Amino acid sequence: MSEAPATDPGDAEGATLWRWLERAAEIPAAGVRLLDRRESERWLPWQEVLERARAVGLGLRELETRPGDRIALVFPTGAEFLAAFFGALAAGAVPVPLYPPNRLGRLDEYRGRTTRMLRAARTTLVLSDARIHGALEKTAVEAGVRLGGLRLADLPSAERPSRGASSPSPSGPGDLALVQFSSGTTAAPKPVALSHRAVTAQVRLLSRFWPDSGETTHSGVSWLPLYHDMGLIGAVFSALERPGVVTLLTPEAFLARPALWLRAISDYRATISPAPDFGYHHCLDRVRDRELDGVDLSSWTVALDGAETVSADLLRAFADRFRPRGFTSRSLTPVYGLAEATLAVTFSPPREPWRSLVVDREALAAEGRVRPTRPGGREREVVSVGRPLPGFEVEVRNDGEALPEDRVGRLWIRGPSLMEGYLHRPDLTAKHLVRGWLDTGDLGFLHGGDLFVTGRAKDVVVVRGRNHDPQEIEAALRDLPGARPGSAIAVSRPRDRGGEGLLLLLEHHRKTSADERRALPRAARAAVLERIGVSPDVVEVLPPATLPRTSSGKLRRGEALTRWTTGRLRSRDRAEPPRTEIQGTRSTADGEGP
Amino acid sequence: MVPTRDEILASIRELGPEESQEEIRLDSRLVEDLDLDSVGLLTLAVEVEDRFRICLDPEDEDGIRTVGDLVGVVEEKLRE
Repeated sequence: MSEAPATDPGDAEGATLWRWLERAAEIPAAGVRLLDRRESERWLPWQEVLERARAVGLGLRELETRPGDRIALVFPTGAEFLAAFFGALAAGAVPVPLYPPNRLGRLDEYRGRTTRMLRAARTTLVLSDARIHGALEKTAVEAGVRLGGLRLADLPSAERPSRGASSPSPSGPGDLALVQFSSGTTAAPKPVALSHRAVTAQVRLLSRFWPDSGETTHSGVSWLPLYHDMGLIGAVFSALERPGVVTLLTPEAFLARPALWLRAISDYRATISPAPDFGYHHCLDRVRDRELDGVDLSSWTVALDGAETVSADLLRAFADRFRPRGFTSRSLTPVYGLAEATLAVTFSPPREPWRSLVVDREALAAEGRVRPTRPGGREREVVSVGRPLPGFEVEVRNDGEALPEDRVGRLWIRGPSLMEGYLHRPDLTAKHLVRGWLDTGDLGFLHGGDLFVTGRAKDVVVVRGRNHDPQEIEAALRDLPGARPGSAIAVSRPRDRGGEGLLLLLEHHRKTSADERRALPRAARAAVLERIGVSPDVVEVLPPATLPRTSSGKLRRGEALTRWTTGRLRSRDRAEPPRTEIQGTRSTADGEGP
Repeated sequence: MVPTRDEILASIRELGPEESQEEIRLDSRLVEDLDLDSVGLLTLAVEVEDRFRICLDPEDEDGIRTVGDLVGVVEEKLRE
């Protein structure tokens, strides 16, 4: 595992994002292409990003922000975000990208979550655009942000062109390049502090996976939000490093009209485009064939799939659906990473078919062992997320001890782009970063040198000493008649007399009749028993839109359990006789499974 | 302002085949009655903005719970 050679482009040793921007600005053909949802484009060369960033940097200095100050950035994808991000770097400050409010969402909840993040990162200023500013102005003050909230346009001298007025960014490779929040943590957000050294090391590793050659000059398309590592670091910084072109759509445009993503890939002959599993699923769900007239996806050779558990069925379905449009299955590239490692840790070899392993489900859950399936036994297909990036190591551990291949354990990683730590949280940092190794909190196993991720350690459902992944149990409920798709939670709940049992919380569809609702617990029980081999203790059927979710719509299992335990999340049908809990107790008694 | 109301109802109906069969009334709640999740709400906001050539900011959207609330906000924007 060698270090980057000295000839590496981008000044490997002293590289910072700011220096990369200065270098990219010298290449007029390189920059960001911004597409709006009407598919009209705006070309933003790196040169223009640099000029605007210098102006913002001067404005921040006039406000007397100090080097190392954290500046929260709340913008939609666009030129203002980039000016603010690099402007903060120009002033020696540390950008903290945060997400904008959900459309038609509740502002009080949004403000509460944003307040927790502003406090966790101890930000000195909140910068946003004119549209978002009003929603956050008071929040910034209430969160104790020293300089409050400002529109980018309100910064002193922000809109004044500043050719030549360039005091260099004071940040070096060891200083922080940004703070990003770890995923799935809205109750107690964890600010991940990343140095320029870590970020630039990660981006250089990614670039080696798609070297330009005589016939191919790579370019990317991304709709991923810029407050998320895959969007900002994977898509934008990769283009900055090259320096090359990246085409950005807003997440909003993709979510409302997912065909725009595929059309952009086709129109601009993009070679690289990433998405979490959800993005591929959304295309299957919402793209209509008539929206694909003339679309040719044959240029898309690297379709990265990461950030969530990768589903083999989904990969096959996506490839089947878009094969007539020139898409090839071997373009699908499952990857694994996390915010604490800057972004990626393992990569499947691009342009090779993705791999999966079908294993015995019982042995995996009960013993944490990878065994071939037995005749008549239940199986589980796990997708390989590839091998460690150069310089990275992955160890599977149980109680601190490294496990051999084919054994499931907690994934620990080591490599050149780990976080400095959780900002202002030495307690958390000491728990997760131990002698240079990072505890990912994920579970998985190695097989033939490939990594297979099986779930999150802290979300594991333990039933009679067996570990089950909640996502899998929830997937078993997806197609139940009368249930709202994607709206079920599986969690372990401590039993009164010791041990743990499985609690299922699922929302019924709004059109479900009372009779259908009463039939749901039995159907849910049967589905989980059949697919997973576990009998739930309790099945609670809830009205639509009652389960707690994060701002991005992910289910919050811990919060759901708390609410259920304290009686705040219960069925409307309480008074109706066949109580789900009674059924649950009965099934548990004889519920040893088939 | 009847055209606005009908057009918003049409936008909601276009969101998905499931919604189109249901009776959508002004007092239908977007989440609880019409079953729109966060992606559904976003899509509705985008459709309405494009159809009426308006721009809704987070504070405009904050109090919107029902179809009638949305109609009210759009009508107000169109008057501005």
